[in-house]
Amino acid sequence: MYPNLTPTLVTLLGIALAAAGFIAVRRPFLRKLALRQIARRRGEAVLVVVGSVLGTAIIIGSLIVGDTLNFSVRQVAYNNLGPIDEIVSSPTVAQGEVAARRVARLRGDPDVDGLLTLRGDQAAVVRGSGAGRTAEPRASVFEVDFAQAAEFRGGVEGGSGLSGPAPGAGEAVINDDLATQLGARAGDTLTVYLYGRPTQVRVARVVPTVGLAGAGTGQTAPRNAFFAPGTLVQAARQAKAATPARGGPAPADGADNATAPGAAGPPAQPRTFTFVSNTGGVEAGEPRSDAVAAKLNAALGPLTSQGTSVETPKQSVLKAAEQAGNGLGSLFLFIGSFSVIAGVLLLVNIFVMLAEERKSELGMLRAVGMKRGRLVRSFIIEGTVYALVAALLGVLIGLGVGRAVVVVAARIFSSFSDEDSFNLAFRFTPISLVNGFAMGFLIAFVTVTLTSIRISRVNIIAAIRDLPNEGGRRLKRRWVALSTVAAAGFGALSAVAIANSQGVGVYLYPTLTVLALCPLLVRLAPKRWVYSGASLATLAWGLAANTLRPKVFDDGSTATFIVLGSLLTFSAVLLVSQNQQLLLWPLRPLIARPTLGGLATRLAVAYPIARRFRTGAILIMYGLVVFTLVLITVIGNLISAGTNAEVRNASGGFGVRADFNPSAPVADPARTFTSGRFAGKVDAVAPLTVSGAKVTNLIKGRTDPIDVIVVGADPTLSQAGLFPLSRRLGRLGDDPAVWRAVQSDPGYVILDNFLGEEDGGPGSITYQPGDTLTLTDPATGTAESKTIAGVLKSGQGFYGVGNTGFVSPIIMSQQAARAQFGSGAKLASAMVKPAAGVTDQALAAELQGQYLPEGLVATQIRDQVERGFAANRGFFQLMQGFLALGLIVGIAGLGVVMVRAVRERRRNIGVLRALGFQSGTIQRAFLTESTFVALEGIVLGAALSIVTSYLLFNNDDELNASGVGFPIPWASITVLVAAAAVASILATVWPARQASKIRPAVALRIAD
Amino acid sequence: MEGDDQVLKRKRTGEGAAPSADGDGRPGLLVAERVRKVYRTGEIEVEALVDLDLTVREGEMVAVMGPSGSGKTTLLNCLSGLDDIDGGRVLVDGQDLFAMSDARRTAHRATSMGFIFQAFNLIPVFTAAENVELPLLLGGTPTKEARRRAVQMLERVGLGDRTGHRPNELSGGEQQRVTVARALASRPAIVWADEPTGNLDTQMATQVIDLLHELNQDGQTIVLVTHDPVIGGSASRLIRMRDGRLVADQQRPQADGQPTAGQWDGTVRVEG
Repeated sequence: MYPNLTPTLVTLLGIALAAAGFIAVRRPFLRKLALRQIARRRGEAVLVVVGSVLGTAIIIGSLIVGDTLNFSVRQVAYNNLGPIDEIVSSPTVAQGEVAARRVARLRGDPDVDGLLTLRGDQAAVVRGSGAGRTAEPRASVFEVDFAQAAEFRGGVEGGSGLSGPAPGAGEAVINDDLATQLGARAGDTLTVYLYGRPTQVRVARVVPTVGLAGAGTGQTAPRNAFFAPGTLVQAARQAKAATPARGGPAPADGADNATAPGAAGPPAQPRTFTFVSNTGGVEAGEPRSDAVAAKLNAALGPLTSQGTSVETPKQSVLKAAEQAGNGLGSLFLFIGSFSVIAGVLLLVNIFVMLAEERKSELGMLRAVGMKRGRLVRSFIIEGTVYALVAALLGVLIGLGVGRAVVVVAARIFSSFSDEDSFNLAFRFTPISLVNGFAMGFLIAFVTVTLTSIRISRVNIIAAIRDLPNEGGRRLKRRWVALSTVAAAGFGALSAVAIANSQGVGVYLYPTLTVLALCPLLVRLAPKRWVYSGASLATLAWGLAANTLRPKVFDDGSTATFIVLGSLLTFSAVLLVSQNQQLLLWPLRPLIARPTLGGLATRLAVAYPIARRFRTGAILIMYGLVVFTLVLITVIGNLISAGTNAEVRNASGGFGVRADFNPSAPVADPARTFTSGRFAGKVDAVAPLTVSGAKVTNLIKGRTDPIDVIVVGADPTLSQAGLFPLSRRLGRLGDDPAVWRAVQSDPGYVILDNFLGEEDGGPGSITYQPGDTLTLTDPATGTAESKTIAGVLKSGQGFYGVGNTGFVSPIIMSQQAARAQFGSGAKLASAMVKPAAGVTDQALAAELQGQYLPEGLVATQIRDQVERGFAANRGFFQLMQGFLALGLIVGIAGLGVVMVRAVRERRRNIGVLRALGFQSGTIQRAFLTESTFVALEGIVLGAALSIVTSYLLFNNDDELNASGVGFPIPWASITVLVAAAAVASILATVWPARQASKIRPAVALRIAD
Repeated sequence: MEGDDQVLKRKRTGEGAAPSADGDGRPGLLVAERVRKVYRTGEIEVEALVDLDLTVREGEMVAVMGPSGSGKTTLLNCLSGLDDIDGGRVLVDGQDLFAMSDARRTAHRATSMGFIFQAFNLIPVFTAAENVELPLLLGGTPTKEARRRAVQMLERVGLGDRTGHRPNELSGGEQQRVTVARALASRPAIVWADEPTGNLDTQMATQVIDLLHELNQDGQTIVLVTHDPVIGGSASRLIRMRDGRLVADQQRPQADGQPTAGQWDGTVRVEG
């Protein structure tokens, strides 16, 4: 992932390594000092490496998730499309023949190495009968010249995918996917409903779903059947001759629907396709797509405005694959960034403690004349070794993390995808490994370098004599002045950012302003007041900014969330650190008990309160990760809690959607579905026309057209039900009034709530009802300006309408659709409302069973919504699991701190034991201390998260729209908090036991 | 003060065997019998205490002196129960310290012993008052009473105005006085002091030693390890050690109750 970042990262990596190498070569004594420190303190070296290894692992894991998705989708495209790079598609046989002749000019073109013309359509295919019947209501059927097909692409790279003897009359060659769906083998007899009429065919053979045999959109594996040339054309003619009149009521129960007048529709004929293969093989031919498409369009000439189109399916799928891979990888990188920040803090903490232990040594080095800069350089050499080892190990661990995420993600994909053809295949690219390694190394390197600068500022005497650090040295005046000037600058930037609702700036600049003012303020007021006030101010701003500037998230940048989460956690921790005594006041009875337990508690809280930096770093580690974990839990729960509301919004009162086969449409579904065997079972039917279109001039700054599906709605859609709107044009009135306006005025349209959001992420939508857009018919080029009358609360009920794939719908009146799209606005679907007492499930099953020969697919909207929600839940859980890695950082950090604490406090422990503390009390004190710190961080993170999610909920129409209030998943949060707390306690059991085992005389080191 | 020659002379005459009870009839508060302590570093064994016998009587102020490595601190650690012994026994108030479990020995330490260390060893995260009340709370004294007595004790050592300060906010002498207050807070039977003035300047050292004498005059038993001959000479009893052995044990006559350096009775023992 991110090949564009590689040069920068590699350059920075090179600079860092060169700098460290230069120091090591130029100053051998610094090198010796650094390397011997590592060799002497191997335990500490391991701790530092562990501290920084997780950052790289998390980054690598995220990048691998992106690589895997990208690779998997690409693989589907390569497998299914094989050599097919472009498809020329014509609506009729005659036009297809003309188009084929025209594009035949490209034979011999250096960019093209294969052309194949064939005809295709969709049909229901059934195997067996009765209870053992298996069916595919929407298989792709082709008539093709097998000899020509075998020559397509000249058999390079495994062949065209379709070769061997042509099927004879009454025979078909089917692909693996169709065979699996039907449970069919060679020799079986299938019933294929070509244009609504049953035809018995024998399976001549089953071929792999590769290349031509997998021809389709490229996104999913199509279920294909291939016939000898002429089969489809002849079937279409026979169907036309056999069914002169259509559109009658549905037959009574048990009647053969295929011969009944209920199966109605206009005369149909197969489409003609010319598959084009680019020079350069299955994968390498794709870059020529733009050039070849241009040549094809030029060759087709006026046919392109008469319904013949050129598609570039492989290019589209590969582009989608890259977007999907980058999207998912970025999402995990975003989630992981909180863990990476926690890892950085752990590293700082460990390094500071390392320096504490070496304090007297550092003091001596300074005393004998080593300059501060050299001390820093020595640390840089040491840090480079740690960072290199950690980054290398991180790559290996990251591969494991990525693999684990992919395994879980694959399960989630398979749980909601009907298509068994899409499998996530673990894959990583060298680019991702290089990027991850460089990022991990640079993060550790920069952290160690900055920390070294801080720890090199030791007071020589204090260090040598192991005296406490001088605290509270005042900044020099010029620094105070500079900082105040910087505050003014940040203040100005804040004003601009707030005025323009700039995501990151709104949170970052005011915080920097307050921070830069602190040096001045501490000269005027007590430190505690200043820091408490500053943290309170930034915390309040972090929580309230979204309410005051509701558009702050509109740029869809994940950086805004990272800054917000960090800002809230850091300021809350600072506030708590400054006021621990106040917070612990209610616990005084517990702490003041004159018992061993009371004393243990008193000790347990005394150290974290006194060691503010160390405690603060752990609190931030916990707070940050728990904040994100709980936020994901709460939002996931919020979304799930809205299932029923979403079903209501998505169905608009219609429980079932029936999608027709364009080759055998139901002409008058309103009459057909309410009479015959369906009489009394269906309350209302709203027929829908469907046509593909492109939208422009909707989103500011976006020039490429957005693919949409125009749904032409019958008035029944808003009369028998109501699809609620999230936003509407005020002057039109309420929702029913808006729907009426759409029916009466062809200039109005209603949009899907996610239209245009596919690439931009949350918040990318900036349009409002009342805005206009340009809607273009790609077949004819007819463009019309439309006004947005409203935006659906949920467009889910329309996704996949007329078997069009998941493209955002735009709804207008049927008349308006026909006026603009003409015959392109095909009757392709109907919303069906079951009568009282009839379940959606029963009606959908009956409809699909009855109209199987026509290839009708009935979808229960509730089922579709629930599966979507289940997938969401799965992804939220996956993200939680991934984020839990950050919790490991926190827990490891606490464990490390406690191990160090035991070593640091040996003398104190000795004194306590000498004074009469039992070893068990010492152990209890350590355990209580770690529990106290962990719980404080966890509770802080969880509380902040709940408040933040509540504010997000209140400011987000979509989250708020479900009408379920603000449900807090206490059970999940409790489990999460308890698991984190228990894991933290377990991590400190060992150091606590070690502490209890310390013998007082040894600890006191009282030597003669 | 006696020289080593005199000590050796008395040893040869066989005087000065350590009694389990004093000749004046006072019982032995602490009785050590043939105490042995060995330090092991790899295959090297060093005998830090060699079959040592010692009795400390109630109200005594015993100074332990000797060159570095003679075993002074080891003696203090072993007799106070801070460290284990490899042979012999130590009786405090008739109870064998090393026959007790670690927990009981710890509890015993909490109620009957106080410690003063050279490096002060105050708990850095506690205030002066909190440090002093620690042994009281360990002994089960109610919180308010513990605080009252801690403040009282700090006032007694001249730190009544420093009760809320943490160790890093106090001078070395003040810290050591807090340590003294902590050692005495629970009114222990015996106070162990290891180089209590080692980290202090002369003036502060004098203040601390005067304080210890004052407490001793009130009946507090004190055993202190020191390098300083003046401090050693001011004690009521002086023990000298060398190579883990007790080489001299001298009692200073206290006719007027005031310490007078250099006036010692003849209970001196020298082991060959």
